[in-house]
Amino acid sequence: MAEAPLTQTLDALRSADEPAFGGKSASLGQMLSGGIPVPPGFALSTAAFHAFVRESGLQRTIDDALSHMTVGDVDSVSAASRTISEAMRFAPVPAAVEEEIAARYAEVAKAAGQEEPPVAVRSSAVGEDSSEATFAGQQETYLWVRGVEHVCDAVRDCWVSLFSPPAISYRARLASAPEPAMGVTVQLMVDAAVSGVMFTCNPVSGDRSMIALNASWGLGLAVVGGEVTPDDLLVSKVTGEVVREQVHSKEVEYVPDPQGRGAVRVDVPAERRDVRCLDDAAIAALVDVARRVERFFGSAQDIEWAIARGAQPPEGVYIVQSRPVTTAPPAEKPPAPAGGDALSMVMATFGVKPAGGGQR
Amino acid sequence: MASTTPATGSFPSPYEVETLPGCEGWEEMYPYYGRFLESRREADEGRFWFWNSMHFPEPMPAFDVICIDSPYQGIGSWQNRVFAVPPAMGIDWRVVNGYIYITGNPVLDPEKVAERAEVFQKRAGYYYENWDELYGTWRSNMEQLIKELSELEVPDLPEYEPDEVVRGEQNTSFYRVQDAYSRTLRMGDLMWQHHFELLLLGYGAYQTLAEFCKANLPDIPDQHIAQMVAGIDVILFRPDQELRRLARLAIEKGVDGAFRQGRTPEEIDAELAQSEAGREWLEELEKVKEPWFHMATGDGLYHFYRSWLDEPAIPYASLIGHVAALRAGQEIERPTEQIREERDRLADGYRELLDESQRRTFDDLLNLSRRVFPYVEEHKFFCDYWFLTSWWNKIREFGALLARHGFLEDGEDVFHLTRHEVASALDELTLTWATGGQPAGPSHWPPIVARRKEILERFKQWNPPPALGTPPEKVMDPTLIMLWGITDERIRDWASQVEGGSTLSGAPASPGTVEGVARVVRSVDQIGDVREGEILVCGATSPAWAPIFSKISATVTDVGGVMSHAAIVCREYGLPAVVGTGRATATIKTGQRVRVDGTNGVVTILEDADG
Repeated sequence: MAEAPLTQTLDALRSADEPAFGGKSASLGQMLSGGIPVPPGFALSTAAFHAFVRESGLQRTIDDALSHMTVGDVDSVSAASRTISEAMRFAPVPAAVEEEIAARYAEVAKAAGQEEPPVAVRSSAVGEDSSEATFAGQQETYLWVRGVEHVCDAVRDCWVSLFSPPAISYRARLASAPEPAMGVTVQLMVDAAVSGVMFTCNPVSGDRSMIALNASWGLGLAVVGGEVTPDDLLVSKVTGEVVREQVHSKEVEYVPDPQGRGAVRVDVPAERRDVRCLDDAAIAALVDVARRVERFFGSAQDIEWAIARGAQPPEGVYIVQSRPVTTAPPAEKPPAPAGGDALSMVMATFGVKPAGGGQR
Repeated sequence: MASTTPATGSFPSPYEVETLPGCEGWEEMYPYYGRFLESRREADEGRFWFWNSMHFPEPMPAFDVICIDSPYQGIGSWQNRVFAVPPAMGIDWRVVNGYIYITGNPVLDPEKVAERAEVFQKRAGYYYENWDELYGTWRSNMEQLIKELSELEVPDLPEYEPDEVVRGEQNTSFYRVQDAYSRTLRMGDLMWQHHFELLLLGYGAYQTLAEFCKANLPDIPDQHIAQMVAGIDVILFRPDQELRRLARLAIEKGVDGAFRQGRTPEEIDAELAQSEAGREWLEELEKVKEPWFHMATGDGLYHFYRSWLDEPAIPYASLIGHVAALRAGQEIERPTEQIREERDRLADGYRELLDESQRRTFDDLLNLSRRVFPYVEEHKFFCDYWFLTSWWNKIREFGALLARHGFLEDGEDVFHLTRHEVASALDELTLTWATGGQPAGPSHWPPIVARRKEILERFKQWNPPPALGTPPEKVMDPTLIMLWGITDERIRDWASQVEGGSTLSGAPASPGTVEGVARVVRSVDQIGDVREGEILVCGATSPAWAPIFSKISATVTDVGGVMSHAAIVCREYGLPAVVGTGRATATIKTGQRVRVDGTNGVVTILEDADG
């Protein structure tokens, strides 16, 4: 484990790298290897976190604070968290780690053709599923981060989140708590002209032949945050035809802050508001990607996507995140008699009740 | 029937519909049993009657009532008495202001349903197992019947009987006329018997596949299911295919100049007859005519839907269009290879999405549907087109006979008498011909005909409500669902439309959205009025309407499902279509701007007609 590199580009990672780099980074790397368009970026391993704790001499502070804490006492947990977090925030990122971040960030900058491209910095949980990770404080996200210095700060903030009050009490309650550790994902932000989410099935009916697409103008925040009613499309996975569509009035959108930091909410110009925000080429490209992502993971997926400003799909279509659909109702099974015998089913169409008393 | 409050909305009582002004006494041209009689008011008000505008979009001439009775005798015989479809017997009909309303007779007793189920399984199973063989027999029976009909002679009544009668080789003419008439009627019955022999089972297999697909993939568009099953080389496409071939031949032979817009078939033929190449083309045309010009210009249930042989202007209009398209370098072939590929791509695509365990069921249902569906598509050519147009012409011969003897002013007037009145007129004609007595017919029948013509003209101005009576709590009749697309949802839509409104909904039959000017076409003889780019609004279409699909930008129909003619053709032409709206022809006016959303099945009236 000590031999794991501090950083790695995302496209070099595979699922086997999960223990060292965390689930998010490994999954993005795996998608890239499958030809799925994920924004480029790099990952920090748990070794980088360990180096930080070691070189800053924080281990003693952490152990001390935790040993004085009473599990279940909110004040005492908060005090421990505050002590550790403050100590961590003042500790420098190890030089070796900072150098690697700078080099990797420069590669991203070069690929993006920008001097200080905006990136998203996110925690990448190790050895836990996402619901546990939420408890464990491993779901931090910092968007629109620019410049090496700010990237380093965001990385450290992710690490700090390991010691949030919920995270430390969660670990304290476990019979055998793992040593706290996490990876970090740093990924180029897409300045999206259009963005949204899509399910590789109809989440309402469970139909697996459909892709349910929600799309709105600008960055994904508006859709994810429920601030607009997005265009709602149901597209056949088999033919790519739009089977049903509802174009809604999309009043607001998020665009990158012209000052270079974060995103700002603006009104959508009237002439774009009521127009469907995806053209046929964009729909075709999204359907294609959705099918590939689903095939790649082998199960129905809930995908966040974005289309870069000025790009002509299929160019510029990016998958920001994909996770399995867990809430999809199973497709209703046909009331087929045992064995699904075709002729008995035809008989049932004419009102012959299947043997065994099934109801039609 | 207990009167429960239906959740599906309400419709006027058939007994409250008023007779149109000036049409008093209209009932006498229809049989007593087709009327809403006081004697069965309680029962009939409690039933759900919907206007069968798919088959009877226009007011019913007296003679044409035979095309209600015989089909429903046929459908009921097979459904109720042969196969014993468990929950449904047959179809009853009634007439209101000349329009035909129908309803199904359900089987309500569970024990009876169970008893029928046993009969049905045995008999339907036999048909599905031996389908190809039975269909083969069916075809030869139909071909035999068509041959018999074409050979049937309608004799004249001569001054003196020919020598054959003297020699005992031939019966007397009075007998031969009577015999020919009753044989003609019986042949019609036989055709309708054949017509429904395989139809229900064919639709049922398809319906089962559709339900299976929807149970597993609830959002699968109906048209995809239809496309997976649809035949590629079905007879129904042959007539137009032959016209395309003739158009190419005209160009190859260099006689395409004859096919100019605005010319009559006679003018075109006359020019062709002047050159060797033209005469060769005409020879080829003659070969094509048998049987492909027995194509009908309508869905065949009215006497005025003729064949291409009777109305050559229709196929010639297609020929002119095909020739012009070819000269402009356009592709006119039906892209069969593409349709085949699409059909397989869809089937493979959907199959792949199913669970392993369901793929076999899917394959079996798809194969069964593909096996039986050619019948569903092809019976129309043999029965509704070829036979029926020839059969109406046979009736015309009796009309001509009555006209020659002064019983009618015009042979065509025969269709304004009921079949029993025609029998009665022939009785008197043959009687007075034999006795030399003075016939009363010439003063009796013409005023009746004139009055009925006037009434039918008035009826044409009426917009019949889509349904009457009490909707059922749930539509159970498989035939009504399969053949007419009568579902709970459809009834709800109709009920809401009785209230009026500027939006109509129907089945999304062919995807896409188009805005344009509406053209309401009530019968096939009005299709010449349709202008380029207009949206066709009609009751239903049939292959006779083929020439206009290259002109219009979308189609809206009153009746029909995703397998209706309009739906199939619009998908082929890539035109948006909404079918089964219930009352598009009553609601939309020619000249109005409408939006047709064939993806969602919605038609919106955007603005009134100018002026």
